[in-house]
Amino acid sequence: MSPAEKTGALKSAAGFLRSYLLIVLIAVLVVLTAIVEPKFLSGQNMINIMRQFGPLIMVALGMTFVIIGGFIDLSVAGIINLVAVVTISLIQVLGQVPALIVGMALGAACGALNSVVILSSGALTQAEALFMTFGMSTVYSAFALLYSHGSTMHFWDIDKSKSVFEAIGAGKVGPVSVSFLIFLFFLALLWIFQANTTEGRSIRLTGGNKTAAELAGIRIRRSIVVIYTICGFMAGVGAIVLFSRITTAAPVIGANFETNAILSVVVGGTTLKGGKGSVLRTVTGVLLIILMSNCLNLLGVSSYLQVVAKGAILVFAIWLDNRKQA
Amino acid sequence: MSVMSESDLIISIRDVSKSFPGVKALDKVSIDVRRGTVHGIVGENGAGKSTLMKILSGVYQKDSGTIVFDGQTIEHTTALESMHRGLAIIYQELNLVSTMSVGENVFLGRFKEMKGMRGTHAKARELLDSIGCKVSTGKLVSEISVSTKQMVEIAKALSFKSKLIIMDEPSSSLTAEEMAQLVKIIHQLRSQGISIIYISHKLDEIFEFCDTVTVMRDGHVIDTMPTSEVTRNDMITKMVGRTIENEYPPRPAKVGGTLMEVRGINTRKLKDISFKLREGEILGLVGLVGAGRTEIVRAIFGADKAKGHEVLLGGKKALIRNPRDAKRAGLGLIPEDRKLQGLVLTFSVESNISMASMDRFSRFGFIRRSLERGIGERQVKALSVKTPSVKVPVVNLSGGNQQKCIVGRWLEIAPKIFIMDEPTKGIDVGAKYEIYLLMKRIAEDGGAIILISSELPEVLNMSNRVLTIFEGRLTGEFDPATTPVDTIMASALGMPGVSA
Repeated sequence: MSPAEKTGALKSAAGFLRSYLLIVLIAVLVVLTAIVEPKFLSGQNMINIMRQFGPLIMVALGMTFVIIGGFIDLSVAGIINLVAVVTISLIQVLGQVPALIVGMALGAACGALNSVVILSSGALTQAEALFMTFGMSTVYSAFALLYSHGSTMHFWDIDKSKSVFEAIGAGKVGPVSVSFLIFLFFLALLWIFQANTTEGRSIRLTGGNKTAAELAGIRIRRSIVVIYTICGFMAGVGAIVLFSRITTAAPVIGANFETNAILSVVVGGTTLKGGKGSVLRTVTGVLLIILMSNCLNLLGVSSYLQVVAKGAILVFAIWLDNRKQA
Repeated sequence: MSVMSESDLIISIRDVSKSFPGVKALDKVSIDVRRGTVHGIVGENGAGKSTLMKILSGVYQKDSGTIVFDGQTIEHTTALESMHRGLAIIYQELNLVSTMSVGENVFLGRFKEMKGMRGTHAKARELLDSIGCKVSTGKLVSEISVSTKQMVEIAKALSFKSKLIIMDEPSSSLTAEEMAQLVKIIHQLRSQGISIIYISHKLDEIFEFCDTVTVMRDGHVIDTMPTSEVTRNDMITKMVGRTIENEYPPRPAKVGGTLMEVRGINTRKLKDISFKLREGEILGLVGLVGAGRTEIVRAIFGADKAKGHEVLLGGKKALIRNPRDAKRAGLGLIPEDRKLQGLVLTFSVESNISMASMDRFSRFGFIRRSLERGIGERQVKALSVKTPSVKVPVVNLSGGNQQKCIVGRWLEIAPKIFIMDEPTKGIDVGAKYEIYLLMKRIAEDGGAIILISSELPEVLNMSNRVLTIFEGRLTGEFDPATTPVDTIMASALGMPGVSA
């Protein structure tokens, strides 16, 4: 090889490493864990990992659209709190299927409200959306506390049938959990929406360059409503999966979901700058995060240190993303 | 050149090369600049001018070659080191902090040396006065015009006791009047023994005040010669590597009836703008930067909020509340800033072209990729966009080819009325001519064009009719083929006593 070719090859290797550094690092961690702690490869642990896909992936799938559209949504924690306490209480009042529908609709409505607040203020930057949705999150959480009087609601307090929620929480079809099937269903739906519809394209163009998209006649305001509505809806779905699994709903049940969802999206490789990304990448991101915490658990790392690790990974992922664009 | 002694040269660039993956941006480039001269560098986009400047300022590192500045060999450098050494670069996109005052910008980061803010402002005043700039040093940079910003940059360069000032396309957003002021300053700097490298697309300027000119093409220096010994046509031939007969095609010939009528646009900036646009016509809007040219077309296109005005298309009132309505009514817009308003830079050529015609390649809201591919390839072919494939990110294309993508985006839906705001800004001579031909074709196919350009010759040579705008009002209407340029300019400068 000539020196030029050599440096070229080195550069592309460096580029590859930069693009996939996180995946490589986590793969190394997984291999190390498998060697040190053979329990990692046991069937029980695999089922455990699959189960954890549940609520977080729902929220992260929705978050993906907001981020592709060039915005961000910190309100999902509040939405989860509100949807969880409202839905669980409505099982007693309306019966389980209406409760389920109302719960998902409430999530979508909260998301749509976010977009209305953002659009009516004229805010069109990610930073403005960040603070506004942060504010909305506290509003939704406060409503959750008011509604529940601050108390946790349990399945065993409900006299009516709750078989649907029990199925969502713990049911299985053959070896596959129901919640995993729900995940596959929404993944397929959102993937088709993102990749094959004009609205999906409009969202990407809006994230890529709002001004240019608008001047080309694309309805960017509608796209903004759509991304927040999807995100709110999926947060609602996440809330239902979450309380069905743990059979209780506290008004603070959604804490940290916003950071974990954003973490999953960014680690998966969707850029915070908007315009690029995919729900499939988010699946990788969630898998990586779950694998990491599973490994750290098996290795006996304290949960405090795990929080540190997650924060570090988020900062690192954004750092890498910026380096890639430079 | 060979008889010159080393000390005559302020900078000597020898065999400098620079490669990027897949492109040789500079290939053994050698340029000598004599002390106290104005040295023009011309070349099409992608000729390597910007790369060379970035090497001089330390943004890029050269692969090989030597650079001797003021007798010192320069290896690795940073922007700040260059400044202190006496080499200042004034970029096209000026490097000022818009939230700070003029005075603070001149001495940014050196307030201590100036003994505090009082000294800073006093010294800045002195420097600005020396170049005849009267702006208050306390004014915020965000409140001053582009030309004043340039003066501030020059004052900043002088504050470093610069021996060489490089100006990268300084005139691209200046009006003729502001340009005259800049020329005066350039002459003054030269008489003080300061050398200037002047990079430009505009040959008029090169001939007006450059002593020597270097022509670059495709990363090579084609020739360096005294400006007095070269003709305009020679220079164009050297720039594009082929002969171009005319800079402008003849104007569209057949102008028909009224296609669009605009009545009473009023905004904070615009006062009662009304005019008609005829079929087959190119209508030029002439005015200073900031006079309201862009605001007029944005109001028509629904991009800015404007109240109470009416747009009549073919005699019928059209409701245009946003760009989408405008598009449906048969209008197309090539926005002023290609990169910020026109393109989604990281997206492919294909999706940039197909952006405005989504309903043409989708059914029931679902995208049909083969149809989209067809649209992209059709326009790339029709406009001969130079790109390896329609899948390449549009950011990789040259300015002219990027602009063609935006033109193609609209051609796909064949708007009757094309609004073009600075359609050839930062585009090389060859691509410009192609855009001109396209404009003529659109007009001759029964469309109409509203043309805005800061290059006066362009508007005057392309338009059937021009409207002059001064401080948000229409001040005149002229036939550029028969009206002297001075009359049109006087009207655009708001001088009384002149009207159509």
